[in-house]
Amino acid sequence: MSKETVFTDLIREHQALLYKVTSVYTDNNQDQEDLFQEVVYQLWKYFDSFRRDSKITTWMYRVAMNTAITHLKKKERRPNVMPIAEVLIKQSDAKDEVYEERLRLLYKHLQHLNTLDKGLIFLLLEGKSYNEIALITGLQPSNVGTRISRIKKKLKTNMTNS
Amino acid sequence: MEIEELQAAWLQMSKDLNQQKKLTNDIILNMTQEKYKNKFRNVTTYETVGAFICFCIALLLIVKFGELDTWYLKACGIFSLSYLIVLPILVLRALKEIKTLDISKNSYKANLSHYLKAKNWLLRLQQIGMGVGILGMFFIVPVFSKISSNKNIFEIGLKTEQVVLLTITVVVTIGFCTWAYKGYQRLTQSAQELLKDLE
Repeated sequence: MSKETVFTDLIREHQALLYKVTSVYTDNNQDQEDLFQEVVYQLWKYFDSFRRDSKITTWMYRVAMNTAITHLKKKERRPNVMPIAEVLIKQSDAKDEVYEERLRLLYKHLQHLNTLDKGLIFLLLEGKSYNEIALITGLQPSNVGTRISRIKKKLKTNMTNS
Repeated sequence: MEIEELQAAWLQMSKDLNQQKKLTNDIILNMTQEKYKNKFRNVTTYETVGAFICFCIALLLIVKFGELDTWYLKACGIFSLSYLIVLPILVLRALKEIKTLDISKNSYKANLSHYLKAKNWLLRLQQIGMGVGILGMFFIVPVFSKISSNKNIFEIGLKTEQVVLLTITVVVTIGFCTWAYKGYQRLTQSAQELLKDLE
């Protein structure tokens, strides 16, 4: 199987992962599209350097989140606009209003977190264990736990106040 | 609203997304070709063009340096050359530093820390550039007046309309720089706070 085939299969298999990472770090459709392409490009660029000592998804999370760090937003001054959530909802078949409202709220609160907290809470939402989060972020597992409790408290306060 | 409810919504969204496989092989391979617009590359391009213009002006100044016939014009010439050469080099180096992340191997924390430090340095440089730019008008204007029209404005002085124009330019520039400086301060402060949190 050629390298291209292996790579395209990988991206097609894990495109949801990439959609989610890029949606967390951007706040409009155009930015998300740009970041998505940048992530795919970086994954391709470093594909040969992937060592099979960790899961491929761990490596993909790392590359995607590291790429997002330097991604420049086109419109820095629109933190409250959440069209991404709308796009995702449109993509899904669900018409549940409660579900849609929760997603909107979730994205709204995520956008107010700093880059580190955003990454941590994203990985938690993805169902990653503290050890996996530590592996991707480079923090100590105990530190991950402490930080996540702090972020949860922050989110809870924000949700109560909003 | 509880966090668990938000997590449930995320899980539901993940399931929905997993069922959608919209990307085709052609689209994916197209994305690997670096055809799209990368905004960081754009910034670097603008800065490179800006640096090139500065270097051209510096070259012109070096060629005509002999025309600066008094010690104070020579001093102004040296300040102008330093501003035109050193600052663009520092800005380009800072931009290069921002881009030297090991995306594949380094952790998120390591890259975030490196990026914030490099970005802060770039912002500081831009702040310094603005400050020096205001002062720069006072030594660049006499130099270019001398080499373009052979007039020593320290001796002949400025006409009233030139004084008015220069004063307006200085006031507008100071106003703009103060506004930009506050923006930079906010950016560097939030980056510093995050850096402190990381360390």
